[in-house]
Amino acid sequence: MSRERKYAMIIDTQRCVGCSACVYACKSENNVPEGFCRDWVVSITEGRYPNLTLTNRSERCQHCEDAPCVSNCPTAASHYAGDGTVQIDRDLCTGCKACIAACPYDARYIHPGGFADKCSFCNHRIQAGMTSTACTQVCPTGTLNLVDLNSNDGKAEALLKGRQVKQDKTHAGTKPKLFWLV
Amino acid sequence: MTEIVSNKLNPDVLPHLAIWNWEVPVYLFLGGLAAGLLVISSMSLILRQRSNSKPTVKRAALLAPIALSAGMFFLFLDLAFKLHVWRFYTAFVWTSPMSWGSWMLVVFYPFSILQAAILYKEELRAKFGGLAFLDQAETQLSKIAVVNAHIGVGVGVYTGILLATFYARPLWSNAVLGLLFLLSGLSAAAALMLWMAPQTEKRIYSRLDMYLLSLEGFALTVFVIGGLTGDANRAQAMWSFLTGHYAPWFWSITIVGGLLLPLVLETMETLGKSKFSFFVPLLVLIGSLSLRFILVFAGQSMPTFS
Amino acid sequence: MTANTSRREFLQISSGFLATSAIVGQVPFLGYAPNAEAAPVADKIVPTTCELCFWRCGVDAHVKDGKVFKLTGQMDHPLSNGHLCPRGTGGIGLLYDPDRLRTPLIRKTDADGTQKFVEASWEEAIALIAKKYEEMTAANEADKIVFFSHGFGSSFFNRLFAAYGILNHAHPSYAQCRGAREEAFGMTFGHAVGSPEGLDIANSEYLVLIGSHLGENMHNTAVQDFSEAVSRGCKIIAVDPRFSVAASKAERWLPIKASTDLALLRAWIRILIEEELYDHEFVKANCIGLEELRAGVRDATPEATFAITGISVEDILAVGRDLGRYGSKALVHPGRHVSWYGDDTQRSRAIAILNALLGNYRMPGGLIHQTKKFGVGTPYKFTKKEGGHHYKSRFPLASQTPANEVVDETKKGNFKSWFVYGTNLVQTLGHVDDTIEAIKALDFLVVIDVLPMEITGYADVVLPEVTYLERYDDLDDRVYRRPYVALRQPAVPPLKGLNAKPGHEIAKLLAQAWKLDPGLFPPIEEYLDNRLKTVGSSLKQMSQVGVMVKEDPDIYRKPGEQLRFNTPTGKIELSSTRLKAAGFDGVPQYTSHPENPPGYLRLIYGRAPNHTFGRTSNNRFLGELLSENELWINRITALDLGLVDQEYVFLINQEGKKSSSKVRLKLTERIRPDAVYLVHGFGHTDPRLKWAFHRGVSANEMITQLTVDPIMGSTGMKNNFVTFAR
Repeated sequence: MSRERKYAMIIDTQRCVGCSACVYACKSENNVPEGFCRDWVVSITEGRYPNLTLTNRSERCQHCEDAPCVSNCPTAASHYAGDGTVQIDRDLCTGCKACIAACPYDARYIHPGGFADKCSFCNHRIQAGMTSTACTQVCPTGTLNLVDLNSNDGKAEALLKGRQVKQDKTHAGTKPKLFWLV
Repeated sequence: MTEIVSNKLNPDVLPHLAIWNWEVPVYLFLGGLAAGLLVISSMSLILRQRSNSKPTVKRAALLAPIALSAGMFFLFLDLAFKLHVWRFYTAFVWTSPMSWGSWMLVVFYPFSILQAAILYKEELRAKFGGLAFLDQAETQLSKIAVVNAHIGVGVGVYTGILLATFYARPLWSNAVLGLLFLLSGLSAAAALMLWMAPQTEKRIYSRLDMYLLSLEGFALTVFVIGGLTGDANRAQAMWSFLTGHYAPWFWSITIVGGLLLPLVLETMETLGKSKFSFFVPLLVLIGSLSLRFILVFAGQSMPTFS
Repeated sequence: MTANTSRREFLQISSGFLATSAIVGQVPFLGYAPNAEAAPVADKIVPTTCELCFWRCGVDAHVKDGKVFKLTGQMDHPLSNGHLCPRGTGGIGLLYDPDRLRTPLIRKTDADGTQKFVEASWEEAIALIAKKYEEMTAANEADKIVFFSHGFGSSFFNRLFAAYGILNHAHPSYAQCRGAREEAFGMTFGHAVGSPEGLDIANSEYLVLIGSHLGENMHNTAVQDFSEAVSRGCKIIAVDPRFSVAASKAERWLPIKASTDLALLRAWIRILIEEELYDHEFVKANCIGLEELRAGVRDATPEATFAITGISVEDILAVGRDLGRYGSKALVHPGRHVSWYGDDTQRSRAIAILNALLGNYRMPGGLIHQTKKFGVGTPYKFTKKEGGHHYKSRFPLASQTPANEVVDETKKGNFKSWFVYGTNLVQTLGHVDDTIEAIKALDFLVVIDVLPMEITGYADVVLPEVTYLERYDDLDDRVYRRPYVALRQPAVPPLKGLNAKPGHEIAKLLAQAWKLDPGLFPPIEEYLDNRLKTVGSSLKQMSQVGVMVKEDPDIYRKPGEQLRFNTPTGKIELSSTRLKAAGFDGVPQYTSHPENPPGYLRLIYGRAPNHTFGRTSNNRFLGELLSENELWINRITALDLGLVDQEYVFLINQEGKKSSSKVRLKLTERIRPDAVYLVHGFGHTDPRLKWAFHRGVSANEMITQLTVDPIMGSTGMKNNFVTFAR
């Protein structure tokens, strides 16, 4: 085994135009059923005409380091995969929804198949040796970046350098791993 | 002005969580009731001589596993993947109250059923004969009752702790919830026993329920204060709970109808100023059930604010 | 068949076909086994060319068990670079659209006079068209036929009609979209901006977007470049009555009063000249007409411009001076859809002039003019029919025939037949009643489409085409900064149960019926293979790689390079000799446009990134995230009018036209108080479009006042005003 990886996502909101290409790409990559999504875009407008700001944020599971969905899962279906991602073992899931209640980011849903489902950071692609998820790959604006925080490839550092970084709901104490560059 | 537009699709997640329907509050109520019945019947067996011949205690001991089974059935109904229900028993996740709860059942059933069987020894023997081991077990009844009392408290607290560990839902995320649900379960059990008790015993249960309701009222007050004095998230959630969409139901059914009114009536009953009526325990039971419904629904509707 | 067409009724085709729409999750009692495949793995990946819009990105179609389940951007294609816009991924929603046209249809009239569509074989349908056009040709009426087209697949019909002698050809992409821009840049620089636009946005340091909402207008590579520029710190100036996504990235948002762009552009020209901020060296060497320009914009003072546009003097001056400061690294974006107010050529001229003054021509961050194609040969000789006559536009400087001119002439009886390929004219041209009146005056209407778009309901013959994922088209060999050639090939065979054909087969059937040279349409695979052999490749190779790209050519000009422009003077014309010769202003002058009638708000419209107007609004996959449009209205304005957020209302325009469906209101701070905004392309009125029918409101329907540019016929669509009815 090689060293332990720690995948995270760095999302450059300056680049994002909120087009939702990430949502569509995820849906077809991961066979997400109609009426559901694993990622989504939030647009926040603040101010009054004509002094306005607008932020687009592509959101998904934060793959928290201290994930309440994992600690609240009674069957260990939700688990840490050892590469910094949080995964769901569909064979173990009872559909009890404790993980959904536990998630401060409302990132999960019950799949029509009866199990909890959410963004997996495209772990099937990671396992196949790819360095992108469907969303980071499709993104025409270069907003989304899958990074390995334990890597020494310098990718994360280059993206973060000189930028203000924001994380969502850190008070929830889950150590989320989506980093928004503002 | 802030305009927020999200294109998240997932039903039962937006605009706010609605993942748990009526099944879960009913389960929490029945679980609490079962726990209460087990605790009160066990305590009677421990504290009072010849309780094992009292019909109310016997019925309560018998009803405890039955109520729990009914509750479990509703919990089962709530599972999205019912065929995987056995998966609760292929893991023990110590951080998950739900896992604790499932394993507690493993102890609840044998001990509570054994206790009920001992109390109904003669009836069972008349029907099935034999059952000599029950005679032997009966000699250990008070010890079994001590175990059962603990199991009952555990299950009663569990129904509240289950919700309280969800930090993401600020209304639930309140440690008093375990105590509150335990007391609410106990008072519901006392009310049910009051209902079932023969006239001669009614005063005992009426007084017991009166005390339990007072304690529940106290716990509820602490729950509210704990919320209001919590961090911004919790305070906001508690404030919207007390004044928002669910407030009319909470104040009228849970507080006035389910707590204050029966408390007054039971006080009068205990003092001999009014006759015992099925109406009073019914109010308590409805109040206890409504507390679960309102807290489960309101708690889901309040997300973690950023 | 001719008798019944004089009173053309709108027909509905019975449907209920391919009812495969997915079932939204109802969790069954016990739950399924968790065998819902998490992430399918493709049996094969087929590179092909997208057709969800007309940018033509390279896509990889991922196929499993004969079904396309995923589309991704081709890594090596210079237009996609591995990425896609939302629509590109949504091609599966078109391929598996249950409402697709399934078989040829012919309009028949019963004995009692009622009209209906009957399902026909291809032989019948083709024979009918062939016979009709033979009759017209024999009666010397071939010039009464107009071929309308939009899209890549039309190339085969171009060849067919050229060989047969039908020479009238109109594109709604001209007068309804880019035409004015292309003519204006042609008058100024001697060549059009082109599509994909020849702009070096990625290297700009100062980008003025006026009438462009890049980012919502989601042309893949353009947005890639835009984001790159933003990320590199390029200063963006967004001139838009609406706080667009681009405006949110901008250093300054200038919420201009709609219809006054030209005043603002002239003010900037004036600042560059009066304050001597223009590129003196470049202008001296390459431009003529500076003094005429100086005189022509003398009245465009910042103060006068403020009074017209509502943009503060400070902003006008700051942007004008910054333009001068950034010089050749600044770019004023020419926009794309520019048929707005009736002065569109002059408005685009002003943009062209600004860019000329900045000296950004073929400079990093400026206008680029790549002329080299990849250059695939055609080892075939296609002969055109000799002689013949085609309609000459009444607009003096129109290089194509404006679609609305065809509508007018059809109403007058000067055109008798339309052959429409892939463009839903009923939802495209504005003034719907006018379009329908023209259609009703036709003798014979043929429509080729994939979906039962509104126009198919008026046709005499409807020919169903397969989607781009089921067919070959000709090679994409266009001018782009990195020359490339790309293949469109079927990812899957045509869907079973659909009696639809690719465009090249339809063209071939007509050619056969007309007994044209059989060499006109060689078997498509052989044709493509032979073309590719001219560049040392083959169809076999291209079907695997999808695209071939040439190395980056040198697109920037060298210091001291002699430039020659294809204008009458050979120079960049700051004052246009062609305009002057035709009797128009050589230098753009501002003319005012109608103002809001009391109680009415100006209707402006645009794009959403998820849709290509009406072409994709029936796409259920894309529609999941945007199934209807909203009417953006300033929050304060709405409150004054007593309107409530999220309520549904009808729209009524200043000519009393009421919308046929309701639209949801979006109360927002993001728009000027005097305008409302709609995403174009919703509110379909054909019930056969089961998903799109009456979802949202049609902007096109509300556009009844068309202001036509006298120079080249650009059909202005933004001079309409609406009020509300519950």
